[in-house]
Amino acid sequence: MLSQTLDSFGAMLRKNLLIMLRYPVNFISSFAQVLIIILIMLFASLSFIPGGVQNALLSQVGRTFSSVAIYGLILFLFVSDTLWSVGYNIRWEQYEGTLESLYLTPANRFLHLVSRLFFPIVWTGLNATASLAFMRFIFGPLPLANPGLALLTLALTLAGVFGFGFCFAAYTLIVKESAQTVANMLQFALMAVCAMFFPFAVLPALVRAVSYAVPLSYGVDLFRSALMGFPPGYPELLPVSTELIIVTLWGLLMPTLGFLVYRWAETYVRTNGSLAEF
Amino acid sequence: MIQPAERPSWGDVWQVVMAVAVARLKLMSRYPGALFVDIVMPIAIAAIPILMGRSLTGPGGISAFEQNAGTTNYVAYMLIGSSIFMIVTNSLWEFGFWMRREQQTGTLEALYLTPPSRFWLLLGVSIYGTLRNLLSFAISFSLGCLVFRVNPFQGDILLALGFLLLGLVPVYGISLLYGALVLRLKEANALIQLAQWLVSLLMGMYFPITVFPPFLRAVALLFPPTWMTNGARAALLGVGWFFETWYADLAVLGVFAVVLPVLGYRVFRLIERGAQRGEGIGSF
Repeated sequence: MLSQTLDSFGAMLRKNLLIMLRYPVNFISSFAQVLIIILIMLFASLSFIPGGVQNALLSQVGRTFSSVAIYGLILFLFVSDTLWSVGYNIRWEQYEGTLESLYLTPANRFLHLVSRLFFPIVWTGLNATASLAFMRFIFGPLPLANPGLALLTLALTLAGVFGFGFCFAAYTLIVKESAQTVANMLQFALMAVCAMFFPFAVLPALVRAVSYAVPLSYGVDLFRSALMGFPPGYPELLPVSTELIIVTLWGLLMPTLGFLVYRWAETYVRTNGSLAEF
Repeated sequence: MIQPAERPSWGDVWQVVMAVAVARLKLMSRYPGALFVDIVMPIAIAAIPILMGRSLTGPGGISAFEQNAGTTNYVAYMLIGSSIFMIVTNSLWEFGFWMRREQQTGTLEALYLTPPSRFWLLLGVSIYGTLRNLLSFAISFSLGCLVFRVNPFQGDILLALGFLLLGLVPVYGISLLYGALVLRLKEANALIQLAQWLVSLLMGMYFPITVFPPFLRAVALLFPPTWMTNGARAALLGVGWFFETWYADLAVLGVFAVVLPVLGYRVFRLIERGAQRGEGIGSF
């Protein structure tokens, strides 16, 4: 039974890898995109700093800001990839007309969803490493305190986002094409509400109130505060232990919830016959 | 005996152009969510650098921005940049997306079999695009001004609109090049995503191009949206012209407006003929 499951998971991974390799421009494009985003952020911040990069590194404001923005960017790369990957792939199967055929196979559907995420996450990991190297080249060494806690936070945050991705995949099954529009909006909304490129302190009071209600905010806050060695004022939202509890609950409960929501949506579209409609 | 086809009258041509534009408008009305995104997106895009600016505008931050950008009003500066970015990015991919959509729905070949010249079809698409973009720009900019408490009635609004409208002409010229790319490569989404970020970098969506190193600055100056954005900002916020006077900058944009559509259409026709002789234009 286990070997059969592993076999089918392996087959799913091979198929996804094969498709990914057939679009090499996508690889190059996603890598170049990250570098351009970094340059945009860099130039945008440079116009506010007297004396350019050198001064940014010397001043405390500049150093804290660059760490906040860079670690936020790393998390953003993972979140944006994870959020849309599953939904996008389901949409793609609908376009190709293979979603119904896949549902007719006895393969585990949870594995099918997970297999969709595997390579994008690996590729984003490589992108993130390259971005860190690029930023190190420009800004010099970045603070790298508490790597264990940071990695744990990253893993739990991503597990939660996977779950959220499943919910989004469920939404894609129901609303079809409009999901992409919502995904774009959601990406920008999360970028602002979870203060990925700047400290929470600069958010207007109303937006900050929303930040407190979004569990992902605590993941962002804890991840970068841990890597920065908890400088004064960080974490910004709640004490470390409270944030860790919230992030753990998010990481453990969200995948289960996401899968349940996906199963519900799946039953719904199979019942009303709109599974392959697009 | 076969009679040669009559040359269509201007009235016929106008009917064709409007039919394409109206068809696109009808399609758009079926996707109100997309229009909503067009309106909200510039505000969301502007919010990121504004908040980044807030975290960096300690002592000296504002004066550094003024020194670099020529204004202390960085909120309005970012809002203008992001609103124009949305117009530019929507217009740049207008023809390419239209062609791709027609390919995917299987109607491109049918359109090619109709008697009017492709030029009029493309003109219809661009009229639709301009209407949609100006509508979403007007709503989004007004809303952004409300959200970020920016006075929208500052500076020379008519001159800014002049830069915006004239700037759209070369942008559609570049859009033709992208349309040609779609005809050639078919699936070019990855390149669009990359180009979108490149566009925002080169046109100085969040910053003045004076912060660029000399080579990148020279490349940015060859890109019409850079002139469009700076023109609108200079007219509204007084950030200064590239060539000291508004009419010199507008003239440069005028040159782009003449050269790029001609170049774009020629390249488009060349690729189109190649596709017609080769694999056919409907394959995707």
